Amino acid sequence: MISWNNNALRDVLKEVDYAEEIYKCIQCGMCAGSCPLRHHMDYPPRKIFALLRTGNIDLVLNSKSIFLCTSCYSCIVRCPRGIHVMDIMHGLAHYAIKMGKISRKNTATFGQEFWKQIYKRGRVDEKDLSRRYFFSDGIVQGIKNALSMADMGIIMLLHGRMKLLPEKPIKGIKQLRIMLDKAEQESRR
Amino acid sequence: MEKKMGVYICTGCGIGDAIDIEPIKDLVDEEFNISICKEHPFLCSPEGVELIKQDIDNEGVNTIIICACSPRVNQDVFFFGPDKIVERVNLREHVAWSQEPKDEDTQMLAEDYVRMGCSKAKDMELPEPFKAEQEYSKDILVVGGGLAGMTAALEVAKAGYKAIIVEKEDSLGGFLKKMKKRVAPPYEDLYDTGLEELVKQVNDNPNIKVYTSAVVEKTSGAPGLFSVQIKTNGSVAEEKVGAIIQATGWVPYDPKRLESLGYGKFKDVITNVELEQMASNGGIKRPSDGQSPKNVLFIQCAGQRDSEHLPYCSSVCCLVTLKQAAYIKEQDPEAVCYVLFKDMRTVGQAEEFYKKSQLAGNIFIRGTITQIGEEGGKLFIEAEDEFLGEKIRLEELDLVVLATGMVPSSQPEETPKMKAPEGAEDADEEGMIEVPPDSGFYAKPALNLEYRQGPELPTLRYGFPDSHFICFPYETRRTGIYTAGCIRRPMETARVIDDATGAAMKAIQCVEMTEKGMAVHPRSGDLSYPEVNLQRCTQCKRCTEECPFGAINEDEKANPLFNPTRCRRCGTCMGACPERVISFKNYSVVMIGNMINVINVPEEEEEKPRILVFVCENDAYPAIDMAGIKRYKWSPYVRFIPLRCLGSLNLVWIADALSRGIDGILLLGCRHGDDYQCHFIKGSELATVRLSKISETLERLALESERVRFEEVGISDYWRIPQIIEDFMNTIEEVGPNPYKGF
Repeated sequence: MISWNNNALRDVLKEVDYAEEIYKCIQCGMCAGSCPLRHHMDYPPRKIFALLRTGNIDLVLNSKSIFLCTSCYSCIVRCPRGIHVMDIMHGLAHYAIKMGKISRKNTATFGQEFWKQIYKRGRVDEKDLSRRYFFSDGIVQGIKNALSMADMGIIMLLHGRMKLLPEKPIKGIKQLRIMLDKAEQESRR
Repeated sequence: MEKKMGVYICTGCGIGDAIDIEPIKDLVDEEFNISICKEHPFLCSPEGVELIKQDIDNEGVNTIIICACSPRVNQDVFFFGPDKIVERVNLREHVAWSQEPKDEDTQMLAEDYVRMGCSKAKDMELPEPFKAEQEYSKDILVVGGGLAGMTAALEVAKAGYKAIIVEKEDSLGGFLKKMKKRVAPPYEDLYDTGLEELVKQVNDNPNIKVYTSAVVEKTSGAPGLFSVQIKTNGSVAEEKVGAIIQATGWVPYDPKRLESLGYGKFKDVITNVELEQMASNGGIKRPSDGQSPKNVLFIQCAGQRDSEHLPYCSSVCCLVTLKQAAYIKEQDPEAVCYVLFKDMRTVGQAEEFYKKSQLAGNIFIRGTITQIGEEGGKLFIEAEDEFLGEKIRLEELDLVVLATGMVPSSQPEETPKMKAPEGAEDADEEGMIEVPPDSGFYAKPALNLEYRQGPELPTLRYGFPDSHFICFPYETRRTGIYTAGCIRRPMETARVIDDATGAAMKAIQCVEMTEKGMAVHPRSGDLSYPEVNLQRCTQCKRCTEECPFGAINEDEKANPLFNPTRCRRCGTCMGACPERVISFKNYSVVMIGNMINVINVPEEEEEKPRILVFVCENDAYPAIDMAGIKRYKWSPYVRFIPLRCLGSLNLVWIADALSRGIDGILLLGCRHGDDYQCHFIKGSELATVRLSKISETLERLALESERVRFEEVGISDYWRIPQIIEDFMNTIEEVGPNPYKGF
C-alpha cells in the first residue's frame, strides 16, 4: 500500500529543475521503452514520475535508476509531452546526493572524480581518473578493479587513447575555471 | 403520356469490344417495337448527347433508354428535362468490365439487361409531385428551450422562418442556468455561459414565439402539416408547423444508485451536477461543515461504462471534471485536486485543456476505487493504481465528487410494458413483455405524436433517439422530426451549438422540400410517392406495422391512411403488401415482375443456369459498380435488379422467378441489427424476415430452400462480390437445375 503525501513533493519541485513537468506526464511509458539502461533500473523513468507524484520521495531518492542516466537524450526526443526526462533524472540524482542518499556510490564517485579532472586540467587524464575511481574502495578492491579492466587499458594505450606521461592542463585553463565557477554559481541560485 | 421510346447504345469504354451491337438492335426492334435504336462511340460526349437531343426534338422521343455506364454516373449529362423518362442500362460495369469479351454468355447477358431496361421503361410513368389539400406551414417547432433549443430557434429565425419554442420550465435556459462557466474552443480558458445574451436574443427576435411552463400535449399530422397542441397553465394553444426539432436535453444519472461510491452515506460525497450548482451559487463548500475544501477527489466514470449503470461513455464528464478542478483552484490556489479515472477522454481539441489542467498541478491517477470511508471527519479512499501497479491510499480528503453521466431525457425511468403477442417466451405472469427501445412506445413523453406506431421517437439501446449518427445526424425514424443536442448523444456546449445549427438546417430543408412534393431523406428530391388501391385492400395491417417511419396511420376499420409527406419512398409497404395494391408511378410490383419475365431462360440441356440478384440500390449496387471498375470477373449467368431498398422486395417476385425456371435468387442488402447500415433502418431486416417465411413455401413446391439466399454487403465490400457470387453459383450447381424450366 502506498500512501499519498502531496506536501512531501514541495521541496523536490523547488530543488529539481523541470520537476514541475512531472504533472504533464501521461504515463505512456515511451521514456522507459526508449531507455537503453532500462534493464538495469529498479524503477523505469515512467514509474519514477508516478512515485514522485504520490510524494514517496524516499523511494525515488533511494532508487538506482536516477544515477543510471547516461544522457543519451532518447527519452527527451521521444516524450510526446516534451518533458525534460533526462534533466529531471540528473536533478533528482543531485538532490539525492545533497540529501545524503547515494544508491550507487560508484556512479557518484566516478562523476565527482570526472568533474575534478575537468576542473583541474580542462581535460580528462584517463590514468589518473581510473586510478582514483578504482581505488576509492580501498587498495585490495582497487587492484581487483584495475586487473579486471587491464585488457581495455592495454588497447587504449596501443591506440593512443591513453598516454603514459601525465596530461598537461589545456591552454587558458584559468578562463575555463572562471566559466565553470560562474556556471556553478548560476545553478545554485 | 404517350410514350415514344428510343434506345441509345454507347460503344465506348470497352462496351463495343465486348459485345455485338447489331443483335441488340434487332432485339429492341423485334421484341419491343422500338424503331429508334442508335449507337454512338462516345455517348456522353457533346456529340452523343446532341444525337439524343435531336431525336427528342425531331422524332418526339420522350422515353430514353441509355445503354452505357452505371446509372450512378453521368446523371447530369443524361438529364433531358423533368418531362422525360430516362432509364439507364448498365452495360459497362456489369457487362463489359466484368465479363469475357465477345463471349456467347456475355452477349446473352447484355441482351437480357437491354430487355429488362426496355421493359422497365415501358412500365414507368412520370411521377407527379404530391400536393396536400391543406396549406403547408413552414414554421418550425422547437421542443425544449435549453442551449440547443434556443440556438436552433435563432438559426431558424435568422434564415427567415418562424420558430416556436416550447419550454417546460418557467424560463428559458435549460441546464445552462445551473452552469457557472463553460469550456469551449480553443480550450484554453473558461468562458461565461452567455445565457442572458442568448435569452435576450431569443426574446427580442420577432420570428420566435416562446411558450414557457408549457408541454406539447398532442402532435398530429405530417411534415408540412403538423398540428401541435401546446398546453400552458391550463389553457391549450394550437400551432400549425412544418417540422419539429426535439431538443429536450438530458438528465443526470440518478446518484442514489451509486451507494457503493459513498453517495448518500457520506455528506461530503457529491455529484458533479451538485458541485456545478454550488459553484454558480456563491462558491464550493463542504456540505458537512461549510468550509472551503482543500483536498478534492474526482471519481470519473461514476456509473458510466458499467453494465449495471450506464453502459456507455458519457464523453463530457472528463471535460466537466477538468473545468470543475479549475473552479476549485480559482477559489483556493493552494487546494489540490485528485482525479481517479479509467481513461481520460477529452474528445476533439479539448486535449489542450487537459494539458493545462495537468500543468496547474492537478493529479491524475488511473485506477479503480476499492474502498471509501470516513476518518476523523475527513474522507479517505483506497484504490488500485494501474500506473504504480500497487494499492494506494488517499487520506484527508475534504470532498469527493462523482462525475456522473448524461442520460437522454427520452430514456424512461422504468421500461414500459406492453401486451405480449401470443406464444412469446419472455412474457411475465400477466402476459406482459418489456417494450423494446426501437418502438415508438418506449421513450418518455415529449411529442405525443398521433402516429399508429407510437407517440414518441424510436430510440437506440440506451434511449437516444435513433439517428444513425455517422451517416445521418439529426435524422430520426420520423420524417420531419429532428433531434439536436444532448438527447442525440452526450456532448459539450460547443458541440451542442453545432448540432442545433445542423438540425435547424435539416428542418428548413424539410419544410421547403415537402412543399415541392419531394422526399427529404435519403432519396432527397424523389417526386414519386406510394399510391394505394384501397378497394382491393384486405386490412391486413402489414404496411402500417412494417413502415420503418410510421408514415401510415390506420382508421377504425384498419384501412391504411397514407401520409405522403412522412414517407421516405423506400417501398417497404409495397414489399409488405400481399395484395400488391401499393405502387409508385415509377416503381411497382408489376414493373419488377415484368423485368423478371423478359429474362431469357435457356433450356436445361444448354447448361446455362440463371441467377437473379436483387440488389439494394444504396450500398450493394455501388459495391458491384466498384467491383466492375476494379475489373473483377464474375459469372455471366447472374442478372442484377436494383431495388430502392430490400424492404420493398415482394415475395411474389421470388415465386414468379422460380416458376419461370430461374435457378437461384440472391439478395444483396445492408447489414442489419444493432449496427445496421440500412438507409431505411429496417428494410434489409424485413427482407430476411420475409425470406425465412418463403423457405417453407419453397419446400412445399419441392424446391430446395438453398435456392434463395440473403447476403449482407456494405458499400466497402466490393472485394467480396465475386466470392459471394461464386459461392452461390457452387450451391446452385450442387442443388441442380430448377425443375420448373420450360413449363
